[in-house]
Amino acid sequence: MQYRIVVRAALGLCLATALTALVSPIRDAVSAAATLTPGKAELKSAGALAFGPDGVLFVGDSIGGAVVALDTGDRRSVRTAAINVDGIDQKIAALVGITPDQIMVNDVAVNPISKNVYVSASRGRGPDATALVVRVEPTGKVTPLALDNIGHASVSLADAPASDPSARQNPRTTTITDMAFVNGNVLVAGMSNEEWSSALRSIPFPFSAAGKGTQLQIWHASHGRYETQAPVRTFVPYTLGGQEYVLAAYTCTPLVKIPMRDLKPGAQVKGVTIADLGAGNQPLDMVPYKKNGHDYILIANTSFGVVKLHADTLGTDKPIDSPTVVNVAGAPYDKLTSLTNVQHLAALDDSNALVVTAAPGSGPRYAPGPSNGPVNLKTIALP
Amino acid sequence: MVLLTLLRGTTVSNQSASIQFENNAFKVVGWPAPAIAPSGGWSPIFGVYVEGASDALLGNYTVENRTLIFRPQFPLAAGVRYRAVFRQPGSRAAVDQMFNGPPRNVTPTTRVDRVYPTADVLPSNQLRLYVYFSAPMSRGGAAQRIHLLDKDGRELTAEFLPGEELWDPNVQRLTLTFDPGRIKRGLASNQRMGPPLAEGQQYTLAIDREWPDAHGVPLVESYRRTFRGGAAVRNPPDPKRWKLTTPRTGTTDPLIVDFDRPMNYPLLQRMLQVSASRGRIEGTVSVDRQESQWRFTPKTPWAAGAHRLIVDTTLEDLAGNKIGQPFDIDVFDRVTEHITTTTVDVPFTVR
Repeated sequence: MQYRIVVRAALGLCLATALTALVSPIRDAVSAAATLTPGKAELKSAGALAFGPDGVLFVGDSIGGAVVALDTGDRRSVRTAAINVDGIDQKIAALVGITPDQIMVNDVAVNPISKNVYVSASRGRGPDATALVVRVEPTGKVTPLALDNIGHASVSLADAPASDPSARQNPRTTTITDMAFVNGNVLVAGMSNEEWSSALRSIPFPFSAAGKGTQLQIWHASHGRYETQAPVRTFVPYTLGGQEYVLAAYTCTPLVKIPMRDLKPGAQVKGVTIADLGAGNQPLDMVPYKKNGHDYILIANTSFGVVKLHADTLGTDKPIDSPTVVNVAGAPYDKLTSLTNVQHLAALDDSNALVVTAAPGSGPRYAPGPSNGPVNLKTIALP
Repeated sequence: MVLLTLLRGTTVSNQSASIQFENNAFKVVGWPAPAIAPSGGWSPIFGVYVEGASDALLGNYTVENRTLIFRPQFPLAAGVRYRAVFRQPGSRAAVDQMFNGPPRNVTPTTRVDRVYPTADVLPSNQLRLYVYFSAPMSRGGAAQRIHLLDKDGRELTAEFLPGEELWDPNVQRLTLTFDPGRIKRGLASNQRMGPPLAEGQQYTLAIDREWPDAHGVPLVESYRRTFRGGAAVRNPPDPKRWKLTTPRTGTTDPLIVDFDRPMNYPLLQRMLQVSASRGRIEGTVSVDRQESQWRFTPKTPWAAGAHRLIVDTTLEDLAGNKIGQPFDIDVFDRVTEHITTTTVDVPFTVR
């Protein structure tokens, strides 16, 4: 199977520096928070989350068209403590004075230093909804970050004009579906609500004035014959045989590996499909881990909970090159029937993961609709 | 400012103190508050709760003119009931009162305004639908409230991409994406299940009336729209095949562009521009003939001379084919011109 990544410069001015940064070593972690400016962080929404160095939390603001870095000030290293909080939506709702059905839990991230959990959410479901980022401690204590006075920096992702310049708001948005901090850059995957775009962005951090970063167009080929732009739904940095990759799940379901070293202008990268998790299914989050000397990747999905992918031979597995052999080619995986209604997944430490579960809504199984709650945070031993 | 309704009086006797709410502040009246907060803070003494919740609302305490005041961090929400509790120091008595948030509007006023594309026949590789509502909606209910039915009214369950709902910032336009795994030739989903729409088959897009708008009120009525699946469109749109009807000098008649197929409605609003030697021309855009005609009316009369229609090459047709680039490129049969520029020009002359 053949893949192609066509790398384009989104911004010629910062192309060279951005790409150099993409493969450069990690920056000085200790000073990361010091680069942020105290004051009000203008967040129109809080979606995808990713931790950077030094307790800096990156928040995807899809409605505001920005990535915002927040200084959580949460830098006290502790031993891992399990976090199990039932009804996190109910707790947040109580604090912000609304009913739980008006809280949307959007993403979770674990601070790698303190192991506290951060939840992005919205107060309300309409256009006047308020963005929330809350810290959840192992004791169950829930504390919204004071966004009106916090060290912060933001970078705008907006690069398209309004459909109607006289309109009150540009109707075009890019919904940020996943983010990760890799080698001094924030990698951002998203989906436009207008054009079919497969942009994967790489933004150097600390953010600079020119800083929209580099935009890569991700392609996908099937049968080695049909090539399409393929938006990445979720991804995770992954090292394989000493080489850095991005393991990515497309919106069109295949799971692929993309060598990070090949993300250069004009490069044509041959990637490999390592699994196809089935039709009508969206991988939500991925957590790579090692257990008893073996490598695995835990993947949460929209349609069947969680799968455990056997990753020992990811470098040598026969790639999926035909749609008729998906059950015998690619990396093998098990469906974990014990984990159901999983909405998000995050690594807690080397042997535990955090899962966010929610009872499905009252609709039919294929379209349950808004969760009737409660939304629960649960620590599980990595299987 | 709304003065909220006092629903229930003091439940435990404390004859002198009561709680009032005005200007987004809860006040303990009838109890002279000390200027300095007690060592444990004010929250053990005075708290406001969403009815049934055990954690108190976030907010700030002040003492003004010896009156203890709590201002919630967020305004009270429509249709929500709140319980305010004052526990007087040194006394076992407590004041416990209920308050209503602002009244919730219950009259439905929002409806599905229109759905693009508007054609009666959509290509079997149709990529997206755009649902416009007359007023802002609530997020999170699309999968439950939008249905695609076959000709017998049976619901088709694997048509649209699950996951994130793609709304505009005003939550008034929803973008629905057909599962690209079924559209993309060669993928397992495509081979096993076929494209989302089958040529010749009839479909109904149904939207439930029960879907709450941004105020939690259902729609005025349900929405149904029937269309048929047509032939897949695999070749990219080609501006050389577009027909331009040019206006006359000195008029504000529209420039009319007839495409060779229906195009993506939201992209037609911003991916075509008109330019003259003096630069971009300001004007208004309208789209007609089931998105196969684009009309541009200038703000000021046309001047004679050479003009250009500037086409963004990421403009798409209904199947996601871009200018010079099909949605799924057949690399074994590459018959299309490879375009690497971000725009292409279509020249025309105003006489």
